[in-house]
Amino acid sequence: MRGSLHSAGRLFVGLLFAVVAIVTAAPGAGAQDIPPLSGRVVDTAGILPADVKSRLIAQLAAFEDKSSDQLVVATIKTTGEWTIEHYANLMFRRWELGQAEENNGVLLLVSVEDRKLRIEVGYGLEGVLTDALAKLIISETIVPEFRAGDFPGGIQAGVNDIIAVLEGDSAGLMERAERYEKRRDPTDYFAIGFFALFFLFFGGMILFCILARIFGKKIGPGRYKWLGVDVSTSGSGGSSGSRSSGWSSGSSGGFSGGGGSSGGGGASGGW
Amino acid sequence: MTVAHTTLSSMRPGLILAMLFSLLALSGCGINAIPTYEEQAKAAWSQVLNQYQRRSDLIPNLIETVKGYAAHEKDVLTSVVDARAKATSVQIPADVLTDPKAFETFQQNQAALTSALTRLLAVSESYPDLKSNQNFLALQSQLEGTENRIAVARRDYIEAVRLYNTELKTVPGRWWASWFYPDAKPMQTFTIDAESHSVPKVSFD
Repeated sequence: MRGSLHSAGRLFVGLLFAVVAIVTAAPGAGAQDIPPLSGRVVDTAGILPADVKSRLIAQLAAFEDKSSDQLVVATIKTTGEWTIEHYANLMFRRWELGQAEENNGVLLLVSVEDRKLRIEVGYGLEGVLTDALAKLIISETIVPEFRAGDFPGGIQAGVNDIIAVLEGDSAGLMERAERYEKRRDPTDYFAIGFFALFFLFFGGMILFCILARIFGKKIGPGRYKWLGVDVSTSGSGGSSGSRSSGWSSGSSGGFSGGGGSSGGGGASGGW
Repeated sequence: MTVAHTTLSSMRPGLILAMLFSLLALSGCGINAIPTYEEQAKAAWSQVLNQYQRRSDLIPNLIETVKGYAAHEKDVLTSVVDARAKATSVQIPADVLTDPKAFETFQQNQAALTSALTRLLAVSESYPDLKSNQNFLALQSQLEGTENRIAVARRDYIEAVRLYNTELKTVPGRWWASWFYPDAKPMQTFTIDAESHSVPKVSFD
């Protein structure tokens, strides 16, 4: 019964997706061609070996922990009829790279078949990773490697350079990280406090009911008196702990954009 | 609750409650949509102006650098200077967004500057010394970046105006406009000549 319901639901969702796909399938490169943000390295074109990819992911994660800057590498086959600038900006905004108030994201996008690449810089980092520096990284570091046919080497070197530039402005980097921490902490404490109160309140009520059952005086079916309070436990509140509720989380890879945006800063190049 | 108030004391608390309620209900129906969209479109417009200003600020430096290597390309250099002067000297009227003529003038002046700059960069391609000058390379990449920012700002403006104009023309918004915002006029927008697909090409490498 449960299984058939489940598969029916799946079929329905599948149909829905199919309909949506048909409806939105416009000719040429559409918005649906932007791949989902599956992690810090989105290698749609498949030019990165697994070991390079995992090393990059670890490097980028460590850098975000330190600075709160979100640096993401994406490779795609083609930008379709869009320019790489247009595509990179839409991708950046779709993925919302960088923290919301800082807009401190950087996207390194490589379009393999077009032989084009771009470093798209979020609003908040335009002053550090300037267009001129981004252009320099592209033309001096990445493009020579790409011309030699070494995609992983070029991407790794480019990421190293971008991080070096962002770390070079160490005062600014510390400031960003501190501001971000400050903003994040109060909300966390608030949420923790809220949940603590919530559980204290309801947990206390449930505990009181249970204790009343044990220590209180029975004054009727499902009714007890304890510490001068009438407690009714016959209702649905009594035993409902055995319902198995599947709380499955979504299949996101644990990384998502922080809500940042970009106004088209950065530089592009080709090889 | 309100009944109790009206019978016990004067009408006032009930009236205030009713007004508060209707205000909430109205804002739910989008009475605030027109001013909200208008402000968003204006913000997007100031971003457009900002980026054009940034471009024209880059030009004097660029001219100086190019002059050092290609002084005899006089007509190209002067055409950039003239186009910049024309684009910046024209006072942009306050109602540029709702005045088709003023908007058209603004757009034409900036387009003229774009094409003059494109020519200048095309000409500079034939001067190897200039092309390898670090200052020129930096300026060139800044100019490219600014052109791209202009394209993004224009795209955002077009979208913001589309929302605002649609709100003015479609039904609930149209009623609100005629009752509460009679001064609200549709805004001008950029004509997109395949610009959403291709950014004006500046570099020729």
